Amino acid sequence: MLLQLRNIFKWVQQGGQRVFLLKDINLEVQEGEFISIMGPSGSGKSTLLNVIGMLDTFDEGEYDFLEESVHTLKEKYRSNLYKEYIGFVFQSYHLLDDLTVEENLEMPLLYKKIKGSERKALVADMLDRFNIVGKKDLFPTQLSGGQQQLVGVARALIANPKLILADEPTGNLNSQQSEEIMQLFKKLNEEEGVTIIQVTHSEKNAEYGSRIINLLDGRQI
Amino acid sequence: MLRNHLKLSFRNLWKNRLLSSLNLLGLSIGIGGVLTLMFSVYAYYVADNMIPDQEHIYYLKTHLADGNDYNEAVYPLLDKIKSTSPEVVAGTHLHGWGNIWLEVGDNEFQKTTTYADPEFFNVFALPLKYGNHNSALNEKYSIVLTDKVSKQLFGEENPVGKSLIAADTLNLTVTGVLEPISPYSSFRLDVLMPNTILKDNIAFKNQNNWDSSFSPVFMKLRPDANIQQFENRVGQLVKENYEDPTVISRMEVIPHNNVRIDSIPVVEIIIAGNIATSIFVLLLVLVNLLNLNTSTMYRRTKDIAVRKILGGGKKGVITQFCLENGILVLLSILISGGLFFGFLLPKLNDIFGAEFGEINFSLANDYPVVIGAILLGVLVTLIVGILPTLRFISLPVSQGIKGKIDSTKGSFILRNTFIIIQFSIAILFICVAVILNSQISFMKKADLGFEREHVIVGNIDLDYKNLDAATSSFKALLNDLEANPYVTNVATSQAIPSDYYFNYTRFYDANTDRDVRLRRSFTDAGYLSTLKIPIVKGRNFSKEMDGVEERPVIINRTAMSAFGWTTIEGKRLKFKNDDFIGNPVVGVMEDFHYQDLQNAVEPLVHYYRSEDDLDKHRYLTVRVVDSKEKEVKDMIASAFSKIDSRKNYSQSDLSEKVSGQYRLMDGMLKTVNVVALLTIFISCLGMFGLISFMAKRRIKEIGIRKVLGASVLKIVVLLSKDYMILVGIAAFVAFPVAWYMMRAWLGGFAYSISIQFWMFALAGCIAFCITAFTLGIQAIKAAKANPVKSLRTE
Repeated sequence: MLLQLRNIFKWVQQGGQRVFLLKDINLEVQEGEFISIMGPSGSGKSTLLNVIGMLDTFDEGEYDFLEESVHTLKEKYRSNLYKEYIGFVFQSYHLLDDLTVEENLEMPLLYKKIKGSERKALVADMLDRFNIVGKKDLFPTQLSGGQQQLVGVARALIANPKLILADEPTGNLNSQQSEEIMQLFKKLNEEEGVTIIQVTHSEKNAEYGSRIINLLDGRQI
Repeated sequence: MLRNHLKLSFRNLWKNRLLSSLNLLGLSIGIGGVLTLMFSVYAYYVADNMIPDQEHIYYLKTHLADGNDYNEAVYPLLDKIKSTSPEVVAGTHLHGWGNIWLEVGDNEFQKTTTYADPEFFNVFALPLKYGNHNSALNEKYSIVLTDKVSKQLFGEENPVGKSLIAADTLNLTVTGVLEPISPYSSFRLDVLMPNTILKDNIAFKNQNNWDSSFSPVFMKLRPDANIQQFENRVGQLVKENYEDPTVISRMEVIPHNNVRIDSIPVVEIIIAGNIATSIFVLLLVLVNLLNLNTSTMYRRTKDIAVRKILGGGKKGVITQFCLENGILVLLSILISGGLFFGFLLPKLNDIFGAEFGEINFSLANDYPVVIGAILLGVLVTLIVGILPTLRFISLPVSQGIKGKIDSTKGSFILRNTFIIIQFSIAILFICVAVILNSQISFMKKADLGFEREHVIVGNIDLDYKNLDAATSSFKALLNDLEANPYVTNVATSQAIPSDYYFNYTRFYDANTDRDVRLRRSFTDAGYLSTLKIPIVKGRNFSKEMDGVEERPVIINRTAMSAFGWTTIEGKRLKFKNDDFIGNPVVGVMEDFHYQDLQNAVEPLVHYYRSEDDLDKHRYLTVRVVDSKEKEVKDMIASAFSKIDSRKNYSQSDLSEKVSGQYRLMDGMLKTVNVVALLTIFISCLGMFGLISFMAKRRIKEIGIRKVLGASVLKIVVLLSKDYMILVGIAAFVAFPVAWYMMRAWLGGFAYSISIQFWMFALAGCIAFCITAFTLGIQAIKAAKANPVKSLRTE
């Protein structure tokens, strides 16, 4: 089992009242799953994803990730954990605008203190795999949205994570680009066994997944 | 990783070229200014460092019973002290005795001549370029030159052993050359000669007694000496030996370290001002960078969050930011170095050089300044690199990634405080400049009690080779001048306004029991009419009536009231306890400002001296009509060219001489003007960067407002209103401080302007206009942007 959420609650205080963002979420994810989280705006999809990705905290409940209980871990270990095992893909890509495609891909490896020659090899490999060798010296602003998201996925994959969290990865893309990215995810999931959890609005995209979790007002339905 | 950081730094700096270059400009100017100020402070503090063992050198100060004091003592005292006090290692007198003319070949030079004991070098072991410390002043007919004089007289060669003629008669041998001496040093000498040579001088013999205090005394004491005990012993010696010990209240033994501050107190003020200004400017630069960097950080929150998700730590963010700032700071240190050598140092020497001597920079001696500048740069980098990042790196990633930074009150208050501090300093300097300006122009334009226009002043203190011949030529010149239709008045005198000797004498009037200290000078009969100084009582001097037998005097109005007189009928100036019948007071002149307006008009007395007494008068004063100064000047100059003298005749206008009194103050004003301009400039740079960032941040808001119908003007006001309010607050912080400071400063003037409301209003106006201009440019640009572009989603 990759991760398990038990009775997760998250709330904010608003005018003396608790407003629940997540209410009693229970979730088990096995390695190799492809899960889609769906629900209307404000239902807590992104919050759930952030909690899973350890970018955000929760107020109540238990969270085990690879046998480690995240809720008891200190901030530092938690960030080590997600750096090691989780890759993120965002709706608005969040590439570093000041870096070229190649440098963007290299960034996570730099932080992992991987040696120069190995870094070069990994980056070259990734560029090749995603067919963006010709774009390696361009800056993100010089790419189309689909291409940017391609780089975003490549960057998430380069450190060889067990889990990819994608927050509406196709939200800013046209249908053809969406199709490509979703195909990519599917391929990664099926051929390389990468676990993927995506947040999406689109029924069509959700179909790529093996399981759908529906949220409404912070609750699983 | 480092390469990556460097690459990114350059990319970031280049991306924000406008901001970067603004930063660079502000930093360069700021650091250049600080460098210049700190260098002059440094030069001042190390100036006396070439004196070894300075901490063991002391000098004597005589405190008089009437509260005055001076650094001289009687000549025999030193020998007495040496023979009775074992703690004295060595001692020397150090005094002038007229500046003699030195002759080498056909060239003649008059140099400041200082006389010292043979032990001089045991007290002050000043480094010698040529010659030997132990023997340099042993021989009676020896002379030690400073490096500068040596070069002037003998060129680059070693002059030791060469001879020169002094005062036409003495054959002196050069025995040593001193290493160059800093102009800020307490030693202001050209040539050193042994005291022994003076022992033949009759005037010196007359003064060599236990009554005339004319010679400063310096001693090196043993490190274990008890200064208090020593001082008491010196006091005892004074009591036992002085002819009139009652006039002396005590002798003080003062460390040589204090000598410069003791002798020129204004130096301390200038130095303190320099330090304060440097700190101010530095603070300004720092605040500016902090402000701009904080803004930059806002833009980078998302960037930082992404890096954190990718695995970056806080350290990386800080390193990156420090590196960027470090590059800026390093570049600006280089630029400011160029600015310093190419512009600021020459300018500094231009302003203060004449008064305090020029300073030069040499890497061998002044490397601490370079090291200081680099350390300063590192410090600035660390502060501006780390401080702004702290708030942002601890921001939760989930917030940062949305580019959401809660613009909490804290940061606003901080940034606004920065702006207020900056502009307060800038406005403070502008206020100072405005008030300084008014005071100086007030002093220059004030009614001085005499008419300064159309008056030629010639310097006739020229060391005539043949006095009789010179006197007759001068008489002929005076006659020619009288006959000249362009000339209305001619006078000769010992002093002119702006250059009266500090020559005081006490007089006593038994009737009113008033003891008055009068400043003395000598004039001929034409002086008052040439300067158009009115006579209020009695008469002017007259060539016919005022012979030499009974030397009549004219006093000024202040002197008359000081004596408590209402009439001068039968009054005479007499000394207390003296049988001399005194000088008759024949007239009272109106008060006039014979010195600058910093000083009050003191009681003054003019003695009559015939106009052709050439070697006792120093000035020839001529009033001309119809602006014919040039013609008359040419005529006088050609007359003097035929008179044989050592010095060359020089002349100028009285109005120039009067303005010249404020030269140092003009220099100060120039400096303050530059600093004021600099501070407002730097502040505006910061403001400029800030508003361009703000406009970017509010680009959507501006777009929405425009779509909803806001005019360009409304948006400009919206963007700049807050900042103008801050400048307003800064003004109200600065005004009381400026008022307090300048009131204290003006208090030092006998005649000063009163601080008016309009001065602050003007200063505020200047600051406001400059700020509004800076803000306006950016705000208009932002306001004119097409909303369709800015509202398009990313």
